[in-house]
Amino acid sequence: MSLRALWVISHEKGENASVRFSRRFATVEHRAKTLACSTYTAVPEEGVVLQLLLTELGLSDPDKPYVALRDDCLHRQRSPALELRIDSPERGVLWPVLAITQGPLIFACLPLVDAPAEPRPPLASLLSVSQGLTFLAGLQSFLLSPGGKPDSEGLASRLAMLPAVLLQVCPLGTPLDMPQLGPPAAPTAPAILGNQKHPAWKTGFHRGRAVVNVTLVETVRSMQYGNQSRQDLWDVYGTVTCKCEVEGVLPNVTVTLTLPPNGSPLQDILVHPCVTSVDSSILTSNSVDSYDGSAFSGPYKIPFSPPLESFRLCSYTSQVPVPPILGSYHLKEEENQLLVSVTLKLHESVKNNFEYCEAHLPFFNRVQMGTVELKVSSGQIDVSKEKNLLVWGLGQKFPKSREVTMEGRISFSGSTPGPSDPLCTELTAYIKLYFKVPDMTLSGCCLDQHSVQVYSAAKPRIITSRELVSKDYFIWNSTGSAPVASGQINL
Amino acid sequence: MALNWPERICAFSRSPSQFLSGNTAEAFLADLLRELRDDRLSYNDKVLLVAPLCEHSALLCPSDSVGEETAMELMSIFAQCPPKAVQFRCHLLLALTSVLVCTFCTSSDSRASLDFLELLLEIAQDTSDLHAESAARALRFTACDCLRELEACGPGLLSQRLELLSGLRQREPSCLHQSYTILYTLVLRNAVYQLTRETNAGAEHLKALLGGNTSVAWEAEQDPVPAKSKDATALFSLILGPMGRVPTLQTGADFKELRSVLSTFLEESYLLTPLCQAALLHRLTEVVSMVPAVPPAVFRAQLLRLLGTSEVCLLHSALLMKWAFTDSLFSAEDEAFILKRLVMLSQHPLLSTAEKLFYTDCILHFPENRPISSSSDGDETLPVLLTPQLASALAPTVLNDSATMLTRFKLLSLVCIEEGEGEDGKGIAYLYEHLCTLLDIVENGGSREIIVTFFRATFLFLVHFWHVERYTKSLVEKLCNLYLHHCCLAPHFINLTDQTQDKLPDSDWAARLLKDLQGVIAEASSHQIPLKDLSWHLKVLARIAEEGQILQDSTLACLSKFISPSSPSRDWRLGNNLLGVCRRLMVHPSLDSLLIPLADVLQQLACRYGETDIQDHARLYYTLLTTLSREKLSGILARGFTKGGQQVKKRLLSCIMAEGEGLTNMLTIHQTERAIIRLVEVPSEAAEDAPASPNTSIMEDCPGEADAVLAAYRAQFTDCSFASQITLNYQLMHAEAGDSGFDQLFTICLHFRLTDSNYEELSDVTVPCLIRERLLPEVKLKLKPRQPQPTTLRVSAIFTTQDGLSWFTLLPDVPVAFHRIFRPLPAPSSWGRGRKLSLFDSLWEDVSSQQNPSDCATSLFCCQLQEAALLALANKHFLPFLVSDPCPGEELKVLLFLPPQAHVLLKVRSEEDAVLFSIATDDWRLLPHVNSYLLTVTSSQGDAFS
Repeated sequence: MSLRALWVISHEKGENASVRFSRRFATVEHRAKTLACSTYTAVPEEGVVLQLLLTELGLSDPDKPYVALRDDCLHRQRSPALELRIDSPERGVLWPVLAITQGPLIFACLPLVDAPAEPRPPLASLLSVSQGLTFLAGLQSFLLSPGGKPDSEGLASRLAMLPAVLLQVCPLGTPLDMPQLGPPAAPTAPAILGNQKHPAWKTGFHRGRAVVNVTLVETVRSMQYGNQSRQDLWDVYGTVTCKCEVEGVLPNVTVTLTLPPNGSPLQDILVHPCVTSVDSSILTSNSVDSYDGSAFSGPYKIPFSPPLESFRLCSYTSQVPVPPILGSYHLKEEENQLLVSVTLKLHESVKNNFEYCEAHLPFFNRVQMGTVELKVSSGQIDVSKEKNLLVWGLGQKFPKSREVTMEGRISFSGSTPGPSDPLCTELTAYIKLYFKVPDMTLSGCCLDQHSVQVYSAAKPRIITSRELVSKDYFIWNSTGSAPVASGQINL
Repeated sequence: MALNWPERICAFSRSPSQFLSGNTAEAFLADLLRELRDDRLSYNDKVLLVAPLCEHSALLCPSDSVGEETAMELMSIFAQCPPKAVQFRCHLLLALTSVLVCTFCTSSDSRASLDFLELLLEIAQDTSDLHAESAARALRFTACDCLRELEACGPGLLSQRLELLSGLRQREPSCLHQSYTILYTLVLRNAVYQLTRETNAGAEHLKALLGGNTSVAWEAEQDPVPAKSKDATALFSLILGPMGRVPTLQTGADFKELRSVLSTFLEESYLLTPLCQAALLHRLTEVVSMVPAVPPAVFRAQLLRLLGTSEVCLLHSALLMKWAFTDSLFSAEDEAFILKRLVMLSQHPLLSTAEKLFYTDCILHFPENRPISSSSDGDETLPVLLTPQLASALAPTVLNDSATMLTRFKLLSLVCIEEGEGEDGKGIAYLYEHLCTLLDIVENGGSREIIVTFFRATFLFLVHFWHVERYTKSLVEKLCNLYLHHCCLAPHFINLTDQTQDKLPDSDWAARLLKDLQGVIAEASSHQIPLKDLSWHLKVLARIAEEGQILQDSTLACLSKFISPSSPSRDWRLGNNLLGVCRRLMVHPSLDSLLIPLADVLQQLACRYGETDIQDHARLYYTLLTTLSREKLSGILARGFTKGGQQVKKRLLSCIMAEGEGLTNMLTIHQTERAIIRLVEVPSEAAEDAPASPNTSIMEDCPGEADAVLAAYRAQFTDCSFASQITLNYQLMHAEAGDSGFDQLFTICLHFRLTDSNYEELSDVTVPCLIRERLLPEVKLKLKPRQPQPTTLRVSAIFTTQDGLSWFTLLPDVPVAFHRIFRPLPAPSSWGRGRKLSLFDSLWEDVSSQQNPSDCATSLFCCQLQEAALLALANKHFLPFLVSDPCPGEELKVLLFLPPQAHVLLKVRSEEDAVLFSIATDDWRLLPHVNSYLLTVTSSQGDAFS
């Protein structure tokens, strides 16, 4: 349940790699030595760890096509736990090294194995592994927040804060909390607390006007093939995010999600640890299970005592019968030209009121576009500066017919080659849709002022919002061979 | 703060070994401690200085005595530090914990560790910070975590303090209750564990511990120092899975006290952070599994909350309960529910890849209520309840990242095998189609990652379905087609065939692939092949030639096409690849039928190839092929191929034959895994380095003018090589019994590396041979100090073994102790005792005179020693350095000379039962060493006489 060492590494596609931060926990190492006896392998110096980790992640020697140590087919990356084989100064194996990569950064740690080393215990039996994962995820969001994008200055300043932060959350290698950004809020005076203990995950205390902000975002993903032999796929998942500024040590708040009478049940519900009680009925519906129709379909009551910061209260998935936008995409190759035909239909259940809606048509493994002769029934077309992408802006509304089309031809006559992609060769091509519809959900899941109850003396201001956004929404060219994207198979 | 400190600390933590090759750990530690005491430094800077002590305690404090001293020092720094410097004080506590744990002080109950424990408990109980700002609470928080770590490293340390901790936890309103909770549960778990190990221990004893009633406590623990379990088993997690056995504590039917303690903790668990909740639940799970009187049902109320959470460590703690309690807490429906939940989590769109892979791993090591097979061997097995329908949610797709894709590929393969799918199984069909999609991507120029993933997936497919002819046959065709267009994948192909053959000895799939590849290359060779492709083809052909059952005629046909007579190549590498194929063909079982075309190829190479070395080799091969019998030929070549090569003799001819294996073996310096040899100290005669023996002159000369004596003495040092060297004697011997291959070592070249800058570089020493059970060779080390300080020498050696291989080995470090640097006074040989005495006195006066501002210093050392013991000590340790006669009752004068120019003068006087050593030296830096030296010799002498 402790970590022996912690590293933060940066690299540029395997090159210029460096250890940006490292911390060893001497007492945990001491325990590791006692536990492992003869099989003990000391944590090597950071230069060695860096090299081994890059090899294991397949990032070392990016210019060499084949390196036996890195590319042997026998060797299967057992992520999330890697095995580092050390040759010098002494031979040994370092396991289980947890590593999370995000862009140019690698976050890694080595949890203590508190079980006999031989035979190797399963990962699932070591609590330190899941704790390590939780801690690394916290470290990741600490170093990369708020946008999730690493910028070198922000990263450097956060790395500089890390030693002080570790003193608060993981002083001796046993993680007690996740790294938190910002100074702790005003401490609670003991007088206020009385007999009530202060929750350890709440850094302070809210004073002032009570405001509760609850946001429900549903995300829809889709893969449409326009092909009899391939089933079109789509899925929807929702997240409820809260920011509660309410007085009290442990204020009680309940959010209730309701479905329309014929709505299909919310599935795969995951809740935040601050949720005080979970009813078994809301956890039973599972997307991997066969749906038996008798499942509980709400209302979903979620009582909780909120932390100060914004947090994800719960998430769910939902099986909706139709995709919000059904598209078809046909390409035909003629000499140096592509004949294009696209139709997009907005389903009648979807509010025809977008914040934005764009269709992107990228073309790979071809030279730049020359003349573009396309007619659209609605919206407008832009050609990107690099001349390998068409952007079809559909504006805020579909026309009354709820259907838009694009017809015409594109010639490829430029001299510079465009981007390449191993998937999209020949007629394998796709349209990717980007859209956002405010104040609606596909699942029908309802969230309004009345859905939020706050048990406190002062009546709080309650703000709620809903929206539907797209992500990975692909419409594949029906005349090309599209990759199988999902494992919806019948075994 | 000296400017370079941040850099030094950074350099140290980046590579301690490299850093310490320039400074000794001892000196670095001393520097750190001195800086920490320096009042001019800000506390923020000092925080930085503590880091090496926290991270590399064992390295900086190599022995428990150093650890103890360092801890004492740190504690006094802590005591003097103002309460305001919270951060620094916290770091000091961490450093103290690390130092004491890593030097085993906590397990030996040293003074420092007992003091430290008292200090921590004192801080942990000091709640005066409650009304201060929260930063002040940080010290108490740190102290709690230090206590927790001490208990974790030495289970049982705080067993007697359970009640105290319980009270602290109950009374604490601030967030710190979490620290007390975590500490308490760990101590409780360890206390229960300890009781399970004692015979006759039962409920009463545990009740006594919980209630703090130590009078009823276990007899063995009556003494104030708590008994601690010394073995490592207490550190192991007790959640071992179905096959593991947990020690139990028999307490009778019900155990209300413990049960109520557990309930309180569980009820308040939601106040803890997820990480601490998981730790708490894990500890409580262990406690309940050790005490059968408490039913696992106490956890029931928590389960739904844990299983519904999005936090991986909380869900995992519920899974660990399943591991520990199986059907005594989880029904069959619960089990099915959990498994479905795991499958769902393994592909949940909002979770990170690492989390999803972890959940997949949990499915493959699912703790079933009634496991059919034991999965304790760490192998992946499918839970019975994982139906194909459930598993289909985890089918691999090309949009997965590599690790996820391969993990799912493996999982689905296992499902297909479990279902007994045959040729027309849907699962296999899906996997094969997936493989083909990957292959298409590779064919279209997929990235290196995709290529590697494809070959790994192919290997997984073959391992599971090598018997399904329909797919494996078609796979060969597809792979050949891939090779035709992408022969640069040759290393992957060779690797795949090697691994398949190794893993599946019963399958001929690899041979079939190689045979078809031979056809592909033969077809390609009918056209012009670019040079870069040629070397790939030759690599594959060489691999094909290793297959006995593949006919090699078409390989030979390719070779003769490659050696085009029109434009002979000059490329050595290419020629070598050609020769590599030929060499393998020379040992092929069907050599008889290949003889003539192979000889033709070799002759062509010998006559036409544009590179002399290749020509020479080809000529040799040709001669061997045409003159030697088959047996002899294969004999020679087989040796060349032998791997490892430790015991292979007569390798010369074979080496020339096989360019790769044998020859490189000969030319490489191998590294030994362990130390093979070591240097052992032999007492050196101090006289050796002195220009003349000081005791030879019996003649009493006239004392002479004191100043003149000193001047004459000092004049000698104008020659800077005068008395500047120390010779130390060592014997070279084998390190323990070991590999008989190293019994006879020749031309051993010893190389010495300094670990500090106090000495001049040493030159290498050569020893002709070292043969086990023969006379040990002597090694004389000539050291030239710049500063007379003790040091450690890193030693490495290169030697040759009987079989002609060269080896590199590291020897154990050679320490040079302080007293080994002492030399007798380098006075001219004509000087008698009188002059030396006079020199001693002048030196003494010179050193102790106030107007001398240089490095001179005086000091005093006292100890309890009888007169007789003192004389014995003088005889034993100081004889060569005595300037006065050792008579009872007289003051002893000892002059230690330390090259290049340092002196330590001792006046030793006995007074009643104490002995006073007055010390004068012209180099104050020697004083700590003199002190510890005197401490060592006097204490050992004292022991001998008491």
